[in-house]
Amino acid sequence: MAATIVHAAMFYGAVGMGVAVLFLLWGIDRIDPTAPGAYAFRPLLIPGLVLLWPFVLLRWAVLEFRH
Amino acid sequence: MSARYVPVSWNTSKLVYDALLLAAIGLYIGVYLWVAPSFQHATLPLDEYSARMAAFGTCAFFLLTLILCIGPAARLDRRFLPLLYNRRHFGVLTCAVALTHANAAFEWYFSYSPLDPYVALLAGNTSFRQLSGFPFEAFGIFGLGILLLLAATSHDFWLAFLTPRLWKALHMGLYAGYTAVVLHVALGALQTAHNPLLAVVMTLSVVLVASLHVAASRKSALPAEPEDGWIPAGPWDSIPDGRAIVVPIADAEPVAIFRYEGRLSAVTHVCAHQNGPLGEGSVVLGCITCPWHGFQYRLEDGCAPPPYTEKLATYRLKLADGMVLLDPRPNPPGTYVEPLRVA
Repeated sequence: MAATIVHAAMFYGAVGMGVAVLFLLWGIDRIDPTAPGAYAFRPLLIPGLVLLWPFVLLRWAVLEFRH
Repeated sequence: MSARYVPVSWNTSKLVYDALLLAAIGLYIGVYLWVAPSFQHATLPLDEYSARMAAFGTCAFFLLTLILCIGPAARLDRRFLPLLYNRRHFGVLTCAVALTHANAAFEWYFSYSPLDPYVALLAGNTSFRQLSGFPFEAFGIFGLGILLLLAATSHDFWLAFLTPRLWKALHMGLYAGYTAVVLHVALGALQTAHNPLLAVVMTLSVVLVASLHVAASRKSALPAEPEDGWIPAGPWDSIPDGRAIVVPIADAEPVAIFRYEGRLSAVTHVCAHQNGPLGEGSVVLGCITCPWHGFQYRLEDGCAPPPYTEKLATYRLKLADGMVLLDPRPNPPGTYVEPLRVA
């Protein structure tokens, strides 16, 4: 049980890192008009993106649709 | 405030705030690790790892207690307001201190485990059905998780991305985190403590947080009954120049009525940036200035000066026998309202 939780957490974190890279290199410029040209703050978002990646994907899709 | 995400330039007060915070944390840890051991009982020496765990753990607990006290203390006494200004850094530093505590505990208890250390952490104690020996680590992991989540979402980007309502709700999770930390200490360190000092200090801390919140909530006045649709807000000369009074409205956001250079203007009490308490701010260079992050708005229309785009709801005011009357129906954000001349 404990090993399963640890493996699930590692998988969740790995997918989150992938989502974070995609979002920071591509997505953020598409859904946030104040982001293009601003790069120094982006690494600060990585922990939050990794922790909240399912919600980030959902919100990203909603904002993409609106734009 | 910033129109785009650029590194915020630190002014003197922010630097002093952060320097004092870092110095206080450094002093606490230093005294705990290098001065206190000379006073401990010779028969119960504290090893280096245990001392690190206790130093950073208690430090994180006290920082969390202070963070939770700042809000109600500032509502009770304006002199605490400067402590609100940089609370974000306070929170991130608290998370770093808590992580150091967790790392020290992890190294001490699980580094030499034959199992994967993380598996050992989760599987080491599963006595969830009994109070004595309860796996208090679970509360610590939960509390640390909340601190990590709040620190990770403290950047302005998250406020816009999550929406202010959701962001605020997420960050109210700090109370759940504090509760988890109290349980973590009560079921962990307090079970093996050799003197009552930790129990006394922790109880006093919890009582302090609770009583400040109760006192601050009692201070908030009940909404006044409207007369012909207008709410009496008080005599105009009771409003300090450059400051505001906050008028509670039934089933709606409170309204801040500012007095500046002989004129009164009313806007919502809730900042468009992070829902900060605008009415606890002041007028700086002719603009309402939020006490939390310095976002500014014009008095007459609630608009942030260009190039910024945030807008506040404005309200109509009138005078009757020296009494300020407020129309509680908000105008659309950014609506111009002629300031009420009083002197």
